[in-house]
Amino acid sequence: MAAVLQAVRARLRRLLGTDENGTVMKIRRRNQFNNFIWKSLPIIRLILLVAGYAWMLAIPLPNLGRKTYIDENALQPGQVNTYWNWPDVLRADRYLADLEGLRDRNASSAEQAAYIVDEFKKLGIPSATQAYSFTGTSGVSNGTNAYAIHSSPRASGAEAILISASRISRTGDLNLRGISTVISLAAYLKGSSLWAKDLIFVISDDHLLGMQAWITSYHGSEQSGLVADPLTLSSGVIWTALNIDYPGHSFSHLGVFFEGLNGRLPNQDLINSFGLISVYTGGVPILLYDHRDPREVPHLESKLSIIPSWLPEIVKKQDAVKEYGFRAKNILRHVGYQARGQTSGVHGLLHRFRIDAITLFAVPATGPHGFHAIGRIIESTLRTMNNLLERLHASFFFYLLVLPSTFLKIGTYLPSVILVSVSMMFTGLGEWVDARWYQPKQSSIEEKAANGQAKSEAIPRPRPVLKALSIVLLTHLAGIALFYLRTLSLASGSETMSLLLFFLMASVPLIALTAHPSPPQAVAPLSKTLKAFNLCFASTVISVTSVLNFSLAAALAVSLGVPLSYSSPSRSSLGIKLAGYTIYAVLGFGWLVLCRKEVQEAIWNWEVLGAWFALFVCIIYSPLVLQAAIVSVLPP
Amino acid sequence: MFWRNNILAVLLLCCTWCLATSEEFHEALTFRPLQDGRLATRFTFTTLLRGAYPRDPSTLQEEDESQHYAIFPLALGQVLREYAVTELHLTLNAGKWDYDHWGYPDEPGVGTGAELWAWMGESAARSVDERWKGLRNALSGQFCASLGSLDEQRTTSPELTFRPEGSLPQWGTTHQLRHGTLPSEHVCTENLTPFLKLLPCKSLTGIASLLNPHRLFDADWHGLGVHVRYLENEGIEVRLSFQSVFDPVRYSNGRRDWSLRSVFDRVIDRSCPIAHSSEIRVAIPKEETAVAITPDSYTTHAGFVYFNVSNASKPLDISMSWPDEQKFEYATVSSAVPLTHVSVRRTLKGSSQSRGRLSVSITNHMPITIQTSYLESMPWLLQFYLHSLQIYSNGVSRDDLISIVSYIPSVPHVRPTLFQAILTLPPKSTLHLSMDVIKPFLRYTEHPPDAQRGWDLPPAVLVPLLHSNSSTLDPGLSNPPSGFEQLRLPRRMYTPVLLVDLATPDFSMPYNVIIMSCTLIALIFGMVFNLLTRKFTLIRVSPEPK
Repeated sequence: MAAVLQAVRARLRRLLGTDENGTVMKIRRRNQFNNFIWKSLPIIRLILLVAGYAWMLAIPLPNLGRKTYIDENALQPGQVNTYWNWPDVLRADRYLADLEGLRDRNASSAEQAAYIVDEFKKLGIPSATQAYSFTGTSGVSNGTNAYAIHSSPRASGAEAILISASRISRTGDLNLRGISTVISLAAYLKGSSLWAKDLIFVISDDHLLGMQAWITSYHGSEQSGLVADPLTLSSGVIWTALNIDYPGHSFSHLGVFFEGLNGRLPNQDLINSFGLISVYTGGVPILLYDHRDPREVPHLESKLSIIPSWLPEIVKKQDAVKEYGFRAKNILRHVGYQARGQTSGVHGLLHRFRIDAITLFAVPATGPHGFHAIGRIIESTLRTMNNLLERLHASFFFYLLVLPSTFLKIGTYLPSVILVSVSMMFTGLGEWVDARWYQPKQSSIEEKAANGQAKSEAIPRPRPVLKALSIVLLTHLAGIALFYLRTLSLASGSETMSLLLFFLMASVPLIALTAHPSPPQAVAPLSKTLKAFNLCFASTVISVTSVLNFSLAAALAVSLGVPLSYSSPSRSSLGIKLAGYTIYAVLGFGWLVLCRKEVQEAIWNWEVLGAWFALFVCIIYSPLVLQAAIVSVLPP
Repeated sequence: MFWRNNILAVLLLCCTWCLATSEEFHEALTFRPLQDGRLATRFTFTTLLRGAYPRDPSTLQEEDESQHYAIFPLALGQVLREYAVTELHLTLNAGKWDYDHWGYPDEPGVGTGAELWAWMGESAARSVDERWKGLRNALSGQFCASLGSLDEQRTTSPELTFRPEGSLPQWGTTHQLRHGTLPSEHVCTENLTPFLKLLPCKSLTGIASLLNPHRLFDADWHGLGVHVRYLENEGIEVRLSFQSVFDPVRYSNGRRDWSLRSVFDRVIDRSCPIAHSSEIRVAIPKEETAVAITPDSYTTHAGFVYFNVSNASKPLDISMSWPDEQKFEYATVSSAVPLTHVSVRRTLKGSSQSRGRLSVSITNHMPITIQTSYLESMPWLLQFYLHSLQIYSNGVSRDDLISIVSYIPSVPHVRPTLFQAILTLPPKSTLHLSMDVIKPFLRYTEHPPDAQRGWDLPPAVLVPLLHSNSSTLDPGLSNPPSGFEQLRLPRRMYTPVLLVDLATPDFSMPYNVIIMSCTLIALIFGMVFNLLTRKFTLIRVSPEPK
């Protein structure tokens, strides 16, 4: 036995070369491998890039994803009998009539809040109003919130559930039915002694602003520009929250909105519980957002579907294609909210206080559901939330919902972005090494002569690190300046300012055109060094962002991946150079001119709600593109 | 059957007569309709051991005298003597007492969860702390409550706030206070059963027969209390109390009418033959609306209606109704006369897991300046930054309004913070007190099984210190009626408890964490080991032969 082992070991040693001669072979093999990697680097990074993008495109594939499930055993969704019934619906109808009366005589928000507070008091629930005013670059907004806190019997008041409705729906209409539902629910829920947590009812003014004022006051965090009355009633820690948005007369589906500020998501258990309850207790089908499956409504299919109409009929008819289109539509909507750090509803303002919250959106329709269904669903969902003994912590906080009951785990979508990021990192490191070595040019005769022999040695050369870093730093500083100028210009309301800013940002770097090429053997070209820094930084930003806000990382990977990797100084004429530069400038700063409304919204989100997107674009994204633009105009 | 019952009754009567000289038992039930339609009830069962003294702790090493009780609960008496406890107060409560709507409670101990405090004489034989530990564990077993966890990390001696309610015997040694609260403790039937066993008539006859756990534990607020005190020249008194706040509006179709049957789902069929007095008191609301009380065999005195249970015809079902009221209407404007001198709100601001700000606002409803003591006895789970303490009154910083009496900072894993101060509340104004707090890291073994819930923090306690002429300013209503046990109790006010989130590891996947960290450590070790033990030699590599 021992002899056999000895023989195997000797053979292995010979094979792997661990003896004296073997070590040499090992080093040789390693060098060979390194050379292979180095030579095939362009191919490798291209493969990585293509694989990353292909993976992104594969995310909506019908075969991917798994069914959602309830992870927290305490939740027990849909296991209770609901007792919300027609008398409660009648009560909601009466509140609705009162609210409509107030609307018809153009009652101020303070008057409406007073009415709501009065109704809560008649129910025996302590309630109060909170006036706030917000002063921002876009003017002053005032409003009054009404809220009530029901101290549940036997509960210590250390935990609470929040039920809210904003005055204005996400559609822009008044959310009168949502408010009536909440008040009527308060009356109904007060009748049972089974609540283990306090119930907080908030009727916030405006769409987002009111809740922002309320929730920041509740947690005692201060915000510049926002002056809000301190809250006179208090309760405990809020774990979960439901926001009710019911703008229409009736509804056909309940849509769930869940994206929060800065890409935060609520625990998936909350969405799943609501989904189960809605379908099985209330009998109401649920949707992601307000997206109806085009296959269910054939007469609107062309309107609802995002599959391009120029595709041949035979492709469009495929069920897999339809499924792909529907999933892609949901994902794109999600990415639209998450990448921009926008909240998709009032619930999103609560996430930063560790409150798991979603919005139930009653998709307006002519029927068949109304107060009766929504009341039962909310009652049962609240019962489920009431069952919680701990904060929601099981289930997922990182997920991609592709259908109401199908999701992708982080492992199935994250690699797409990471692949692109790795490709960019390889390119950047390649440039960095490349900048170090000067390969002297050989004339063709010499080359022939040298063929088959050792190649001429590469000459090491210094890299202008400091210069490149200062350019990087300057571009980011310019980004900060841009952010403040843009915010200020919004205040003055001048639209010429954005044009001016665009030309300023786009033209100043053209100074780079005047740079003279330095002798390549003495010092590495600035463009190479700058590109190396640019790519390494961009890659780091993308991979770090990917675990915080996947959608933002994906958007960055798409918008930066190819342009940054393939930016290169050209030897061609000034005209072509300028054309290339213009493309980069438009990519980096085009938003200043092209999407003014979007910019305004992003700045509002930053000022009022604290969404980082506007700042991120100005300080990270645009400077990165600007660096690539400079690379393209620098001498090679 | 008839004979047996009769013989039993005769025997019982004999016993009662024999022992009447040394032990007395009084039971009482008070009803107090509240202005928000709720109904506060309070059962008190008082046993007085005449001529008895608490055990002198210096005799702890000697054999104790034998204990013979007829009415006095032996299980409790043994515990008291074993640990030489002079005064003892144990309360187990559920719910949040709403001072603004319910006024002062009849029993002052209404802090959420379990609260235990005892005065004990010092002794060289067995230290106070040792006996406190024994007492906790004994009561824990006696009342099926987790009082054992009221350990040193939760024990303080806030002598300013918890004064002895009885008298302390003069033994030549000083008495010491030990106090602990456990806000996460829930009171339920398993606590009521041993409580009932301490009663001479159990829950079979008399007022105690109304103690129906199904109804009591459905009340909006409920709590049981055990109070032992020594009254000089009288003896040792044990007061067992059960206090609750019911919501008849919730039960009876929007009306606030109630009866024994509707509240407890029971009536009194027999009176407790041992009781020296057994009465039911109903406070008559001060409002103008007409009130009907049945049966009419009552006497009226000082705003209360009295029923003598032993004389009343059985079965006794007392009811109270507002005949003019179709439905109870909640007041939409806050009442002109506040029910308490001050109202308190305490919140923990901030949502981060490492820092926060404790904020307390105290409103003085009186037109005079009030002084109040303020006690925080905080486990080390929340550590105060005392330098950041700020006092604002009407938006102006007023550091002169607080005088700190004592402050014992916490020691992590060992002892809690004790913060006692006297606050001066200007008339008709609100005082805002706030200070920064930090939330420490716990050892992973210190987390409870429901780690993601957070930790309940005990209530703060305020005692408005009123001057002798304060009776003229008393908002009234809650003034307890004169009676046997109505010594004037201090008016402690408890704030609601708080819940604090500490940084919590993800306990749902400990193995993933272990595997991950072990892998990282192995990788790092491998690299370092490889570099340390490798022999570096120079090898010439000739260009690769083609």
